[in-house]
Amino acid sequence: MDANEIKQNIGTKEVNTWCPGCPNFLILESVKKAVAEMISKGKVRQEDFAITTDIGCHAKIFDYLNLSGIYGLHGRALPTGLGLCLGNPNLKVLSFMGDGAIYSEGAGHFFNIGRFNPNMVLIVHDNQSFSLTTGQPTPTSQQGYKSKAEPIGEVDVPINPIKVALGLGIGFIARCNARDFNHTAEILKKAINYNGFAFVEIIQDCLIFNKDINGKDKMMYKVEDNADMKKAYKIADEWDYNGKKGKIGLGVLYSVEKESLDEKWHALGKLKSEGVGWKGFDN
Amino acid sequence: MRVNILIGGKAGQGINKVSEIVSRVLTGSGYYTFNYRDYPSLIRGGHNFNVLSVSDARVGSVESKLDIVVAMDDKTVELHKGELKKDGIVIMFEEFKSLGRNLNIALSGALIKILGIDLSVLIEEIKSQFKESDEAVVAAEKGFESQEKKFDFKKLGGEIEIMHGSKAVALGAVESDIDLYLAYPMTPATGVMHELAARQYDGKFMVFQPESEVATVNAGLGASFAGAKVMIGSSGGGYDLMTEGLSLQGISEIPLVVYLASRPGPGTGVPTYSLQNDLDVALRGGHGEFPRVVIAPGDPIECVGSVNECMYLSEKFGCLSILLSDKHLAESEFSFDKKCYDKKVSKLLKVDVIRKIPGEGIVKASSYEHDADGNTSESAELCRKNADARVAKYGKIKKECEKFEMVKLYGPKDAKNLVIGWGSTKSVILDALDSIDGSIKNGKGDWKFLQVLYMKPLSSKIREEIEKVSEGGGNVILVEQNVTGQLGRLIREKTGLKLNNRILKYDSRPFYCDELKEELLKF
Repeated sequence: MDANEIKQNIGTKEVNTWCPGCPNFLILESVKKAVAEMISKGKVRQEDFAITTDIGCHAKIFDYLNLSGIYGLHGRALPTGLGLCLGNPNLKVLSFMGDGAIYSEGAGHFFNIGRFNPNMVLIVHDNQSFSLTTGQPTPTSQQGYKSKAEPIGEVDVPINPIKVALGLGIGFIARCNARDFNHTAEILKKAINYNGFAFVEIIQDCLIFNKDINGKDKMMYKVEDNADMKKAYKIADEWDYNGKKGKIGLGVLYSVEKESLDEKWHALGKLKSEGVGWKGFDN
Repeated sequence: MRVNILIGGKAGQGINKVSEIVSRVLTGSGYYTFNYRDYPSLIRGGHNFNVLSVSDARVGSVESKLDIVVAMDDKTVELHKGELKKDGIVIMFEEFKSLGRNLNIALSGALIKILGIDLSVLIEEIKSQFKESDEAVVAAEKGFESQEKKFDFKKLGGEIEIMHGSKAVALGAVESDIDLYLAYPMTPATGVMHELAARQYDGKFMVFQPESEVATVNAGLGASFAGAKVMIGSSGGGYDLMTEGLSLQGISEIPLVVYLASRPGPGTGVPTYSLQNDLDVALRGGHGEFPRVVIAPGDPIECVGSVNECMYLSEKFGCLSILLSDKHLAESEFSFDKKCYDKKVSKLLKVDVIRKIPGEGIVKASSYEHDADGNTSESAELCRKNADARVAKYGKIKKECEKFEMVKLYGPKDAKNLVIGWGSTKSVILDALDSIDGSIKNGKGDWKFLQVLYMKPLSSKIREEIEKVSEGGGNVILVEQNVTGQLGRLIREKTGLKLNNRILKYDSRPFYCDELKEELLKF
């Protein structure tokens, strides 16, 4: 089957409840494209993929993907995904999280995941606000952002997730623009094929809340795949998430080889070499 | 014949080594031992003590009056002299100070002599433990020669095994083919993690320490969903953190076993001591209404069976099973006839993963209310249908549990008085009743004991026993180690029967056998 035919089967018939025009539709499209293209190459099957999502607008992608997985709890898609890797290291695991979920509620998980280095991909839908709960600020909201929770405007300076990820020793760090779904699909394929934990931050607009920070396409430019830490910090420093000044580098900002979870743990290595999970393992 | 020995000193001095060596020598000679460990939350210094109770019959408790005090520092004598019987003996460390790291071996030698055991038995034990044993043997001899024989522990037959609850839970899980144990360290649950971690190197299962209890429960569910047989473990506050995941289990129906070893709360409480104060939270932790099983074993052999039943039930029904223990059961060293243990292991149920898992097809689990495909739904009809299905599932679980020993009755069936208890108080209740009139060991007398193992579902036999004894004019006495009588409240909730006679101890220390006996005789 060609990739387009496979793609049809990766979607579901569930009624889509994202707001009309939401960039989440494009992220969904890029995921389907990347997965379908990988399946069409014949090396991986649709049932080999397993996803985890947590709670938020982004997480509704769970219902729209015909892939195995767990629609987990707010902030917990990472440990749930880590669990999938521990249960069967042969699965291709994708975890979808929002900026609030990963950088706030689930920050402790983000802090440690690069250390464990499981073979999985974290996809962050970063729209710089909590949208499903009607627009409260997240750790990436810009100063001055007015919401019902902070009517006089956000007082805190946002974090820079790329710099955080570099500091945490994560081995694969990429950034994408939700609107450029062909590019996102290419980056996702690289992330899925990476041996270890891959972090993909996707910049997206929210059409309802935090509209002031929307429309950054003009600031964006593509970078070549990079393995140099200093250069990665330099790119990360070009935009501070706090406004619309600076340049936003897209692509694989940093990628180096690191020993993955299943290379460090004897038992998991055995499962991987036998191509089974614990269920198929004769213990 | 029963002898109580207290071994005290500073943390790090090796008091556990003394009780370990002496216990092994005694059980090797066919005697039963019970070792209670009392220690504060610190690593070096302070005051730790073990109380070792030795008997020619089954023993599962210690007594408040001591026959021997082994002191590794002055503080031990100061603190425990008052607990000595009139003709009690104190073995002082000072005499053996020059032996350095072999001080505890010398003290073991001294104890062996007092108990009337041959020095050769101790030397054999030392040689099996230490590669270079020459100095240790000299120390043992020196200790042995320093004392006079007082008791006569002649060699008996029988193979007695020593084990604490943590090891039993670990072995039970291994025998049930566990694949993954996930835990974040917290006393007194950590013992199971340590026991399993030490055994994982054959690659048949794995122990992993995630970054928090929240990560532990969510990763546990992820791994279980992917087809692994998973157990996670914690205590008090760590368990509280896990409860969001317990609720996720309820709606996603991913099999999960949680080992909950309680310690005195609220809050950080008294970390290294014991209390049965977490039955309530084991029964109810996690929002929403969903089925679960709560099993509370009372000794190591029961731990082996209970962990197996938890794993079996969770896998069969896609339900949450909680294995409820406490510090006293997890860390005290019990002894039993090895044949009983082997028999238990031979009867364990096979735990099979038969459900479809990722890799075998498209499988979805969800924290949202969902349709049969696992996709989100908020339809009123589905909400009602799924809630009904969860209740119906609990009905099936209840029926299955009736195949197991949900309660155990000890002593004469027609005894006048009934004691009801659960968990780690089991052994001290049995010892106390035997010390009153030998009801348990002889099957004749005025006392019987109903041990509740299944807290959820609760056995209907509890009502029958209470009513039978009440109608016969006898006393029904509830024994628990908590301040509100949590099992008593549960029984009242399920049966409407209020247990007015209660013996509750809540100073974070376990019952002494003689203390409980006195309390029981007040009724």
